[in-house]
Amino acid sequence: MAKEIEIIMETVTEQIPANSIIDSSLKKKATIEVKDVKVWYDTFNAIKGIDMNIKPNTVTAFIGPSGCGKSTFLRLFNRMNDYVEDFRMEGKIKVNGSNIYKKKVNVEELRKEIGMVFQKPNPFPKSIFDNVAYGLKLQGITDKQLIEELVIDCLKQVALWDEVKDDLKKSAMALSGGQQQRLCIARTLAVQPSIILMDEPTSALDPISTAKVEELIFKLKEKYTIVIVTHNMQQASRISDYTAFFYLGELVEYNKTKTIFTNPEKQQTENYITGRFG
Amino acid sequence: MANAQYQRDLLNESGAEMLAICTVQLEKAKDAFLNHDSDLAEEVILNEIRVNALDLRIEKSCEKFLALYNPVAIDLRFIMAIRKINFDLERIADHAYSISKYVVEVDEKIPPHLLEALKFQKMYDTIVKMLVNITQAYENKDVKAARKVFKKDKVLDQINIDSFSVLEAEIKKDNNIISEALLLFSVIKKMERVGDLIKNIAEEIIFYIDAEVVKHKKKK
Amino acid sequence: MNSIQKNRIFDQAFKVWGIGCTLFGLILLAVFIGDILIDGIMRIDWDFITDLPSRKAEKSGIYTALMGSIWILLLTTVIAFPVGVAAGVYLEEYGKKNRFSAILEINISNLAGVPSIIYGLLGLEVFVRIMGLGASVLAGSLTLSLLILPIIIVATREAIKSVPKSIKDASYALGASKWQTIWNQVLPASSGGILTGVILALSRAVGETAPLIVVGALAYVPFAPESPMDEFSVLPIQIFNWISRPQHGFIENAAAAIIILLLITFIMNGIAVYFRNKWQKKLK
Repeated sequence: MAKEIEIIMETVTEQIPANSIIDSSLKKKATIEVKDVKVWYDTFNAIKGIDMNIKPNTVTAFIGPSGCGKSTFLRLFNRMNDYVEDFRMEGKIKVNGSNIYKKKVNVEELRKEIGMVFQKPNPFPKSIFDNVAYGLKLQGITDKQLIEELVIDCLKQVALWDEVKDDLKKSAMALSGGQQQRLCIARTLAVQPSIILMDEPTSALDPISTAKVEELIFKLKEKYTIVIVTHNMQQASRISDYTAFFYLGELVEYNKTKTIFTNPEKQQTENYITGRFG
Repeated sequence: MANAQYQRDLLNESGAEMLAICTVQLEKAKDAFLNHDSDLAEEVILNEIRVNALDLRIEKSCEKFLALYNPVAIDLRFIMAIRKINFDLERIADHAYSISKYVVEVDEKIPPHLLEALKFQKMYDTIVKMLVNITQAYENKDVKAARKVFKKDKVLDQINIDSFSVLEAEIKKDNNIISEALLLFSVIKKMERVGDLIKNIAEEIIFYIDAEVVKHKKKK
Repeated sequence: MNSIQKNRIFDQAFKVWGIGCTLFGLILLAVFIGDILIDGIMRIDWDFITDLPSRKAEKSGIYTALMGSIWILLLTTVIAFPVGVAAGVYLEEYGKKNRFSAILEINISNLAGVPSIIYGLLGLEVFVRIMGLGASVLAGSLTLSLLILPIIIVATREAIKSVPKSIKDASYALGASKWQTIWNQVLPASSGGILTGVILALSRAVGETAPLIVVGALAYVPFAPESPMDEFSVLPIQIFNWISRPQHGFIENAAAAIIILLLITFIMNGIAVYFRNKWQKKLK
């Protein structure tokens, strides 16, 4: 608890302007702090009171059986649940020290700080270049050279550059599934977030593409904070530093990945990871 | 996950089987030695094949389980423990085999007063109790039962330490018993080793059930 | 006879029945077009297109009706296209999904089925009389716009619905506002479907007769419209007028005019099909 307060104090010392929740000089130490958060869809209590702290520059994995609320919980961080009918939440979620559910918060700014990659690769039906440049276009950047530099840089970061450099005008829909997903990651990186959320990013990919994406996640950890929902426990154990186990809307256990998979604290966790249920 | 569960249960049973066989081998060897019963010793010697076969089977099952089922947490600790337990049990059976070989090859009855002086029966009884402890610990996942062997092992260590001076004194009394004395010395050493092996097994069982590593630590 | 054989026979029988029905329709259409072509194809020449209507069949041309149809088409496009698409976008993207919006959706679909003459009567009262526009091209266009508006709205909504939610999610996740997402992703992705719907709606408008008659499009107009407030006639009305004349020459004229009208309709539908195919390929 004391450690958490320390981190908050560190980040709150800077003055944060009203319509931008993130001071860009704090980008490197992105933290997420969740306090007693509950979520309802109409009368269905999807999340039943969760406290959690995500540490900067780590990969945190959310595991748990289907329908346990891990995707819902993930989407709280970039407020994508706002589009779901009858969504209601209570509690506080602080990103870099500021509560993101306050009325004043500019949701579009929030999403530039926290990017998201989805389960099924969803590139826009446009060219590879336009896909990556879209986020920049949204921000009103018009400098053609700057855009080109950023696009190339992002494609290089996701190790896609060599595969597509010959024809950036080609339609993104012509790429393979694994390439499309890496393109989606590049597109997210272009906006220069500090936190990247991934909702089962490799469950629609073949093993080789999955391995490439996992390698990429490991590399990205240096600059970003990553939270990933996964159905695949071996994936969680391979790539994450911390693992959180969810069940029926509750956070059962949240610990170092090594501990969860060698000697978890809760019997329920052990039952799940050894396949006794779920 | 049903297949993994089934395989794990099979492996558990194999472990129990190995424990049972080795216990019986050791008990027969003890009886054969104490009563100079060559027939019983022959049984032990012939049975060694079964022990070796089971050892190999368990090794192979562990390898297969690791490759196919990605065990974690308690399942992983179980595989790690059962391999070592299996290894130690095989060594215990080996010792039983050697002792039986002595019975068959050396055609002399050991003078009872020597056995008494060395506290042979006590040593054997302690070992039998230790085997009961770890059998209970293994079958019932009972850590307390496992811990009971540590104190008993100290008893064995003491008898072993004393054996040197006891034998020295006996030999000085009567030179003719040198070959029996040497034989006994060798057997006592083996029994002390068996005690150590049982202690190892207890440590592995504690690790598997409680995830506590008591190896190389001071035992209370 | 076991069930497998029975099924096979039913299969064949249905196939034959289906082919028969299709051929029936196609043959009728072929006969109709063939008949028209025989009657009218010889009559079509440059004079026919540029001549004004007259009492003498050989001197009668479709110039005024053709110009009127073109005026009506262009003006209706200018009015109905933006209004219809905007309404469709609003209803699909901004409308709340409650009972009221469900009722609204049903009613808009119903409007597409209202007999066109009713729109004519509405147009007559509101545009011609109350708004004082008279029997002008503008009034006619406004009336037809109302008629095809539901079709455009429904087509727009369907096209937008078919844009996968994942595209919108991706756009929002990158920090786009609702409008940015609609303008940059939803509309471009649904443009093919929308265009198809608009073109089909317009090609129907080109062939409408009853509402325009009610609004006051004249049968005998000796001039082409030069402004939206001018009086006008359209091809279908001209055709109707010629058919009711006894002289054989006018029957030929009518056939020729029908050919021109069919040509316009086929071309417009062809363009619509072309766009639809291009759009479907893009989304894959």
